[in-house]
Amino acid sequence: MNDYVIEMLNITKEFPGIRANDNVTLRLKRGEIHALLGENGAGKSTLMSVLFGLYQPENGTIKKDGEVVRIKDPNDANALHIGMVHQHFKLVEVFTVLENIILGVEPNKMGFLQRKEARRKVVELSERYGLKVDPDARIEDISVGMQQRVEILKMLYRENDILIFDEPTAVLTPQEIDELMDIMRSFAAEGKSILFITHKLNEIMAVADRCTVLRKGKCVGTVDVKDTSKQELSRMMVGRDVEFVVAKDPAKPGETVLDVENLTVPSKLHKNNAVKNVSFRVRAGEIVCLAGIEGNGQTEFVYALTGLEKPVSGTIKLKNECIVRLAPRGARRRRGEKTNAAAKERAVKQINAPIRARSKLGMSHIPEDRQKYGLVLDYTLEENLVLERYYEPDFQNKGFIRKPEVRAYAEKLIEQYDIRSGQGPVTTARSMSGGNQQKAIVAREIDKEPELLVAVQPTRGLDVGAIEYIHKQLVAERDRGRAILLVSLELDEVMNVSDRILVMYEGEIVGEFDPKKTTVQELGLYMAGAQRTQAGSSSERKANSDV
Amino acid sequence: MNILADILSATILFAAPLLMVALGGMFSERSGIINIALEGIMIIGALCSCLFLRVLDDSGFGALHPQLAMFYAVLMAAGTGALFALLLAFASINLKADQTIGGTALNMFAPAFAIVLTWAIQGQGQTTILIPTWARITQETFGIVEKDTFLQNLIFKSFYQTTIWAIVLLIAAVIVLYKTRFGLRLRACGEHPQAADSVGINVYRMRYAGVFISGVLGGIGGLAYTLAAGSAFQSTVSGYGFLALAVMIFGNWKPWNILGASLFFALFKILGSYSGSIPFLPKFENIKASENIYLMLPYIVTMIVLILTSKKSRAPKSEGIPYDKGRR
Amino acid sequence: MSEKKKRSFRLPNMTSFFASMISIGIGLVFGLILLIILNPEASGEAFVSLISAGFRSSDKFAKVLYQAAPLIMTGLSVAFAFKTGLFNIGATGQYTVGGAFALIAAIQLQQPWYVCLILALIGGAFWGLFPGLFKAYFNVNEVITSIMFNWIAMFAVNLTINNLPMMLAKYWGGAQMDRTANLAQANPSALIPRLGLDELMNSNYMNISIFIAILFAIVAWIILSKTTFGYELKACGFNRNASIYAGINAKRNIVLSMVISGAFAGVGGGLYFLAGTGQYTLLKQLLTAGFNGIPVALLASSHPIGTIFSALFVSYIQVGGDAMQPDFVKEIIDIIISVIIYLAAFALLMRELLTRRSMLAHDAEGDTPLPPADPEEKSEVSES
Repeated sequence: MNDYVIEMLNITKEFPGIRANDNVTLRLKRGEIHALLGENGAGKSTLMSVLFGLYQPENGTIKKDGEVVRIKDPNDANALHIGMVHQHFKLVEVFTVLENIILGVEPNKMGFLQRKEARRKVVELSERYGLKVDPDARIEDISVGMQQRVEILKMLYRENDILIFDEPTAVLTPQEIDELMDIMRSFAAEGKSILFITHKLNEIMAVADRCTVLRKGKCVGTVDVKDTSKQELSRMMVGRDVEFVVAKDPAKPGETVLDVENLTVPSKLHKNNAVKNVSFRVRAGEIVCLAGIEGNGQTEFVYALTGLEKPVSGTIKLKNECIVRLAPRGARRRRGEKTNAAAKERAVKQINAPIRARSKLGMSHIPEDRQKYGLVLDYTLEENLVLERYYEPDFQNKGFIRKPEVRAYAEKLIEQYDIRSGQGPVTTARSMSGGNQQKAIVAREIDKEPELLVAVQPTRGLDVGAIEYIHKQLVAERDRGRAILLVSLELDEVMNVSDRILVMYEGEIVGEFDPKKTTVQELGLYMAGAQRTQAGSSSERKANSDV
Repeated sequence: MNILADILSATILFAAPLLMVALGGMFSERSGIINIALEGIMIIGALCSCLFLRVLDDSGFGALHPQLAMFYAVLMAAGTGALFALLLAFASINLKADQTIGGTALNMFAPAFAIVLTWAIQGQGQTTILIPTWARITQETFGIVEKDTFLQNLIFKSFYQTTIWAIVLLIAAVIVLYKTRFGLRLRACGEHPQAADSVGINVYRMRYAGVFISGVLGGIGGLAYTLAAGSAFQSTVSGYGFLALAVMIFGNWKPWNILGASLFFALFKILGSYSGSIPFLPKFENIKASENIYLMLPYIVTMIVLILTSKKSRAPKSEGIPYDKGRR
Repeated sequence: MSEKKKRSFRLPNMTSFFASMISIGIGLVFGLILLIILNPEASGEAFVSLISAGFRSSDKFAKVLYQAAPLIMTGLSVAFAFKTGLFNIGATGQYTVGGAFALIAAIQLQQPWYVCLILALIGGAFWGLFPGLFKAYFNVNEVITSIMFNWIAMFAVNLTINNLPMMLAKYWGGAQMDRTANLAQANPSALIPRLGLDELMNSNYMNISIFIAILFAIVAWIILSKTTFGYELKACGFNRNASIYAGINAKRNIVLSMVISGAFAGVGGGLYFLAGTGQYTLLKQLLTAGFNGIPVALLASSHPIGTIFSALFVSYIQVGGDAMQPDFVKEIIDIIISVIIYLAAFALLMRELLTRRSMLAHDAEGDTPLPPADPEEKSEVSES
């Protein structure tokens, strides 16, 4: 019985208006890997934050090694040897790896930092566990994988042996995920106990010993992983049988809507280009997905496509209308040309159409970060719904907003797309839930009846119901003859929704796939750069797609 | 030659308050709180310490032990500046108010309060507080014979204890910010308070500390400014508090750069005042009130410099955003 | 259930109003306590004076209206900038430049009052251009730029006026060395018309400036709430990234915001100096009228129509403050105003707390709010 190193008993945690954890009980055995499964909003992160001292529960007790303990703040948690790797890394970007690791537990003499001693310990830990880091590199300069290793080292430095991982694999390649699982297994073998939060069933089946499932704040149950299946886990998670596949007819692609040729986009983070010479086409009536691990150029590509960033060179045509045509600097004057006049004759007019022009030509954009780009949170729902159309004659007259028309339009969209909000059109966007905010953006962008719909991570942070809904909308739009470019990090979404998959790695398209004919493992290899289709394939791809 | 000595010593004299106040702003902003109230803090610090100087003068203690009296006055300036700054801290940290608004309120309060208080203490119509003459450090303090050499002119022309404080505090600032545990944690709070919180640092307390330090430095800076500007406190610091903010931004929130920036600006201000006596500066004989051209100069130069350095400017990432533990 | 939701959302507006009232109340109480401390015997009468002086006679009331006009304008300036996400602490400089343009037009160029006022608007707009440009194109904080330009304005105007000899009082036979000419002597057609109001209220101060100011307030309100231009400006102020995404030219809008803001402040300067009762003294300190625009805007929660009322209030207690002399120094009014601003910070918090409570109650839809949005200051995105 007392092999439980941590017991969280009858924990209830409330925020104003919401009960995030409702009488939840979780027991962690010594040396086990225990998964905490649930959808977004189920209460997993909250529960772990309680354990880590970031929140205080309204009710319930926590026991360590059988004794009741009170964890008021992360210092208390640390004293009990509990450590946490957060989903959104809590690292100070301008500090070095070393400084981040020692922050809060700095070795010091009368307040003065003793860096040498710290460095010695960090290097030793890093070697012992095979966690490669550069102690003097600044966080803003290192990769996401290394940043996670820094977070892990933070825990090891503090001699934590109860380790909490919050969605650790969201930002890793499949290979890095395997490495992480090996690390977790070695920790468990040493006697450390691991709690890891996830919503990915594959990982649970692969590495966890037991799994506790939460749903809408309540604990549904704890099972031994070897005695259960993905089906059962997901049923516990959502309360009903989940369809893993979106029902859809095969695609009937028509003419080319989007034609990207040799697009190169610079990076803000480093000197190389983020997007290197990318070419592909999207046709009407098909969903093309740009798949890849975050940070391989998809974001920059979309910015260049939609007009938020200026590319270095390349061409983009939307329905044969050129919206981007930029030549790289060197190409403007060839050697041997006598005068500038000759060069000018050959020179092509540089084009980089403004965002509004692209929108008018028929491009819609569901942005990655809905709160940063997609909505003006302090505006009302109706004001947000006309964000891209307020200047049209339907909605304004000589510079004055036609409020009744705006209201009617908003009400129409609200009904059509089932957007829920506190007070209808006059609700402040900030007060709406994430799912409904996203629905509002989707409604707005689809209602524009675009030729090309660019949807970036459209289901991020949403619950299963909303995800299903949005996938249905995307397929419906595709069946109406629109061209859809989907950018997604969720392999399930990529496999289920798209008609064609383009894998992007380090700014290049490294492979093209038919979802019916490939596997997640194959995609993973391409996404990690371990494989790529040979050069010359870009023209092959175009030839193929014209068939 | 003497003019050069005059200019250099005046530059250092005026750079000292800029330096201290800018360092104060730096500590506050590095912890995450934008401190627009530096002007007001300077005024309060100057007000209270000058009143205190008068008290010491009247009691005779000042004339007997001038530098000791100055020392106490400096402590007074530091203390009252810090207390005043705590008002900003409270509004920004506990009430999570907009920091610029809170700062502006304090800036309006300070000069009005100074006038009211001076009036109340010194009587109707008397709104200036005279600074006793023993406050100045002269050759006498060190027992040196007064001679008209370059070095002596450079050092003793207008030498006050506050200039020494400026140098000491600069070095202390560098050490504290980069070599101590406190400094590391403070910087973390200004960059990424959630990260600091997650390792158990009390962000609220750190930010209070940052604002407190800015109050100390601002208060002493106010006293330094008043000593530099003349023989009396007149309920104003003529925008020096804001100029210090510009110095801080120009100095990219780093102590040594701030030193350079303060000397730079002080120099321009001095050039303006001495424009008549410097032979190689244009005189604008045909223009009346041409001193206004030189008076404008430090501000115009500030603007040009800010434009040129805007690309490299790197403010503490989380400054100005109230830290809310409730959000994840 | 939906009834309750409706009510909780209307609360923010009512809360702002009540919060302003409470701030004012506490500010006045603070003032009273200060009066008692300074001079107990005179304090009671002084406080009564403070509260009621404005209403005591029609000429005092006229003074309230007359002083309120430039305050409305500087309040509008700050409020308009706030609404669009900027802090215009440079209203003083714009006010000064506007006033200078007006006086130069009046005295040097001998123009009638409406031309002078238009030039005042242009002058203020011109001065507002700089902080706007520097923020939009160089990302220099508009607070610092505005402060620097406040001082540059003062010196530049001093310089200009000194070098246009017709401007000084001396030229027109006045005795003082350091101020501009009396408009009644130099160019009576530049004076803002009185339309008989001065006789009606028995005051030397009254003219139509208050009505002009109210007109501008209405125009500001219309722009902000009813036009597409205002929609764009507010969007930029609330979320610069989203406005760029929507195809709005954020840089241009920041500049325009500051220009309009400056224009309002400039008109304020014009209204003050063209009234004929004030002459421009060649100053060593910044004019406070511009800074007083800040409490006016804050008390009105940046609502243009609200600034009319908060300006009247500030003007009212300023008149009261004058009436308290010579027992008390008029700076006590500034203390009261600064306490009110400090408390206005409190008001914003109260409003946020109440909105957030109702907000989180609606958030029980099962999904997690995204992690707090990144600081919105610098847009990572450049415009094509």
